[in-house]
Amino acid sequence: MKRSYLPVALLLAVLMLNIIFTQYMVHQYFYENYTNTIIAAVINVILFPVAFLIYKKGVNVHD
Amino acid sequence: MSDKNNKIPFTEDNYTHNINRNNERKLDRRGFMKTLVGAAGVFAVSSLPWGVLAAKELNGLGDKKYPKHKITDVNSLPIGDAVDFAFPGEHDSAILIRLSENKYVAYQNACTHLRCPVFWKKDEQEMLCPCHHGKFDVETGAPTAGPPRRPLPEIHVKVENGAVYAVGVKRYEA
Repeated sequence: MKRSYLPVALLLAVLMLNIIFTQYMVHQYFYENYTNTIIAAVINVILFPVAFLIYKKGVNVHD
Repeated sequence: MSDKNNKIPFTEDNYTHNINRNNERKLDRRGFMKTLVGAAGVFAVSSLPWGVLAAKELNGLGDKKYPKHKITDVNSLPIGDAVDFAFPGEHDSAILIRLSENKYVAYQNACTHLRCPVFWKKDEQEMLCPCHHGKFDVETGAPTAGPPRRPLPEIHVKVENGAVYAVGVKRYEA
């Protein structure tokens, strides 16, 4: 059984984006750019269902 | 519950019998992906309070509201002079300085060193705390000399119908 590691790579990329947007969000909050803070927070929240979908697609891929 | 564990020593010779559990602690590809999704969830949840706080700031809910307080009439305060008042509470003494025809600045005048009252030195165009010769910039309230290290808290003023009103206190910034 050959596994696909593409979903793993995608999830790692999602996690990297999470880290980037979290840091951006915190910094923009302290620079008082509140609109950018909200944008980054929304992106962070959206990344979770994206990660879940990647997982769902990925667990059954064997080839 | 069976009492096989209550026999001392119990019959099983494997003292570490709870370790060998058929690779249940092995992290396979699926488990690793689950962990990553969980981490994404943690990131998502932890960014919610930041969004809420930012929305609160955008809507101005973080600013405290004070009733507006009449300080003095415009006619009774010549350019370059100062007047003392109390804002927002009756024990929060403050000072209003008229810098030009239409420019007024107001600060809470407790020195940020040891809370001595700060005075306006008209001839030297600076604010002076006589206790330890702390000086403050009149335009911004920032300390310029002496022991104080923090700016004087600024009070927002508004001119209406020939009178000067205090309307709010600038948020403290560390």
